[in-house]
Amino acid sequence: MYFNADVKSWYDILLFLLTGSTGWYSILGILQIAGLYLIFKKSGIKPFWAFVPFARLYRLAECADREEEGRILSISSFLLFVINVLGDYIESSLLATITLFAILALVVIELVYEIRVCAGLVEVYKTKKIWIVAWVIVGSLTSFYWGVSKKLNPSMKVEDFRKDAIEMASGRHIINKMDKGLAVGLQERTVMEFFHKKYLLRDINFYIKPGRMVLLLGGSGAGKTTLLNAIIGYEKADAEVILNGTNVYEKYRKMIYEVGFVPQQNLIRGKDTIEHTLLDTAKLRLPSNVNAKERKARVNEVMDIFGLTPSKTHFVDKLSGGQKRRLSIAMELLSNPSLFILDEPDSGLDGVMARELMTQLRSIADQGKIVIVITHTPDRVIDLFDDVIVLAKDSHRTGRLAFFGEIGEARAFFEKESMEKIVQSINSTSVGGDGRADEFVLKFATEQNKEVANG
Amino acid sequence: MAENTATRKIRHRGRFEQIGIYLVKFMRLFVYQNDWKVLPMSIVIAGLVSLVVRRDFFVTMEGTLKGALALSCIAIWNGFFNSIQVVCREREIIKREHRSGLHISSYIVSHMLYQALLCLVQTVLTIYTCKMMGIKFPTEGLFTSWMMLDVGITVFLISYSADMISLWISTLVHNTTTAMSIMPFILIAQLVFSGGIFQLPAWSDGISKLMISHYGVRCIAAQADYNNRPMVTAWNTLVKMENNDIEVAYTLDELMVMLKDDQEDAAVKLLSADGVGQKIVEILKGKNVDREVIINAIIDVIKSDPRYEEIKDKKFTIFKVKIKDVIDAIGREKVRDYLQYKTAQVTQNPDYAMTESNILRMWLAFVAFIVMFSSLSIVCLEFIDKDKR
Repeated sequence: MYFNADVKSWYDILLFLLTGSTGWYSILGILQIAGLYLIFKKSGIKPFWAFVPFARLYRLAECADREEEGRILSISSFLLFVINVLGDYIESSLLATITLFAILALVVIELVYEIRVCAGLVEVYKTKKIWIVAWVIVGSLTSFYWGVSKKLNPSMKVEDFRKDAIEMASGRHIINKMDKGLAVGLQERTVMEFFHKKYLLRDINFYIKPGRMVLLLGGSGAGKTTLLNAIIGYEKADAEVILNGTNVYEKYRKMIYEVGFVPQQNLIRGKDTIEHTLLDTAKLRLPSNVNAKERKARVNEVMDIFGLTPSKTHFVDKLSGGQKRRLSIAMELLSNPSLFILDEPDSGLDGVMARELMTQLRSIADQGKIVIVITHTPDRVIDLFDDVIVLAKDSHRTGRLAFFGEIGEARAFFEKESMEKIVQSINSTSVGGDGRADEFVLKFATEQNKEVANG
Repeated sequence: MAENTATRKIRHRGRFEQIGIYLVKFMRLFVYQNDWKVLPMSIVIAGLVSLVVRRDFFVTMEGTLKGALALSCIAIWNGFFNSIQVVCREREIIKREHRSGLHISSYIVSHMLYQALLCLVQTVLTIYTCKMMGIKFPTEGLFTSWMMLDVGITVFLISYSADMISLWISTLVHNTTTAMSIMPFILIAQLVFSGGIFQLPAWSDGISKLMISHYGVRCIAAQADYNNRPMVTAWNTLVKMENNDIEVAYTLDELMVMLKDDQEDAAVKLLSADGVGQKIVEILKGKNVDREVIINAIIDVIKSDPRYEEIKDKKFTIFKVKIKDVIDAIGREKVRDYLQYKTAQVTQNPDYAMTESNILRMWLAFVAFIVMFSSLSIVCLEFIDKDKR
């Protein structure tokens, strides 16, 4: 569709880079660029990308909500171009054969991913699938038609975040005055996605007092795990995180012992016993001046707390789901961290076991620790929580803070009785939600800004 | 305790102490995680390969080269299997432990120590199995008093180098399926580019030098004194053919040409031979041939004879003898020794020279492999936190 040309001279190379074709075909290439220019404009992408060779394919894939495919498509097109150019200088028959195979492989890859991107375009533009054939066979004319047609418009836009109208509180007001508890002032958490910066999280500021048990709520893909990783400094963000007066990012190696993070899966070696697992973890996490006797005592204490003592010689593989979860939590509790983070600790547990586990977490919080929990079934244990952080995926698919505060305030803010209803209200319509994320993000930001203004 | 941790100077276990923790853990898992299975597997492989190479290993040039390649392959196989899955199968666990204070360098170094022990035991088992299966190791080695120990050091180094390569692969890939899919390609490359069996084209020299098997085959062949072993292929082929005849036959036409080429002595001898001699005598019977111009006269007479056209393309046996008779005539042992010595002489290779410097050079190459790939493992695993979620 884009770069199937015979490149022989520098003039060809230049023409090829500009239009994606050579010779008379470059006229079609110009039509295609014009089409892409208008399509990008419609989709909210800066239209100059239409003039950038290879990158324009990735941008087109973004319009189609097919970023992964776009990456492979533009890389394979670039490689095809390079091989095309270098092909003329190859004299060895062996190299020529290898080149031929490489071209064949790349053409197949290009075609497959081109079809995927076109399928995405058809979905986003909510039009007939027959257009996929048109895109593949006469891509230049099709892109031009799609660009100029007023009937064809995308149902989703890829907008520039810098134009975002929602101004958030900086979070510095939270950071500066806290020497106890957890203060988070996160400006952004981004990743470089090929040709552009992708925002995973933006403007998330909150402060949690010691002894609080906090529920982290949000729809799938809202960035809950990303936020937790950013808080503990595992995935660094443009943020300041202060735990009990110490900057987590600046003193990361020291602070890892202050934070207990229980991941979603039970990441424990199955062929080790409970006791050995805990003893080894204790050796890693407890200070080196803690002697073997004290270590053993601490392990026994933690095993008692989580009811693991009777099965301490059992292999992890042989434990039930609930026991594995408790062991996973026990491993983190060994070092007595002041911040305890749990990513879906109750997944796979029945109601009774989940309640029992959450009660244990409540008792940990009551010892003056901060406990942050992600759970997808919050209502059955909501009475155990003090605060809730609501993360929402906004229209730019970025995780934003839709609410932070006490449980009762959350109900009033969202005008919903249950946590599950809150999640439903912020979830996008494509996953069966009410699609009100932007509304709540804006509302909460406005309230926060007012608070800051009032000192 | 928790409140003061951030402010007080609290020391946690450093890199060195963590090595001990993980080494003990790996030893424990060796028993419970079925990692012990690699030991009987190494015995079985060594036994099977010994069955094939035991007769001629350390005896002949060909057998030694075959044995060197086989022993290298066993060691590489053992090394690869030991560690190809060890890191990738617990990648997520490492991530968790890393954020709990685990130093990646400690983790890799403890693996290196554990794998070294494993390779050592496998080497002992392999060499012992080879011995039990009838491979006759020469008594004295170049570096030690036992050749078995010398070869054992090489087998260990090959095995450990392969182990470090697969450890590195294991740190690169994210799951065991990918690791096990890559392994056959690496093994085949090691076999093909070893240069031991296949004649490699010139362009592959560089690739071959990146293979452990390249150094493995050369090192073991050198230790087995390849260059001073007899080459038996030519002698064995000759013995297989000894009941065949050596036969020299020409057509009459060819004979005429030969006679014209002033090979008078030869021609006269040929005339007296059986078969053709009788035919020519028949033709010459009753003809007056001057002895002084005998050759040309004979040719003229024969060519002018009406029967010449009929028999000119017929082959006549000039000389016929059994190979066995020739060997026996010269002396069987003399022929064998001469052939084995001469063919061995042209096959000698300076890479296989049994010298201390040569073997040390190969051992250093293994050490370089070990250092390079273990360092690469540490570097690659340090990026574990960058894994795409």
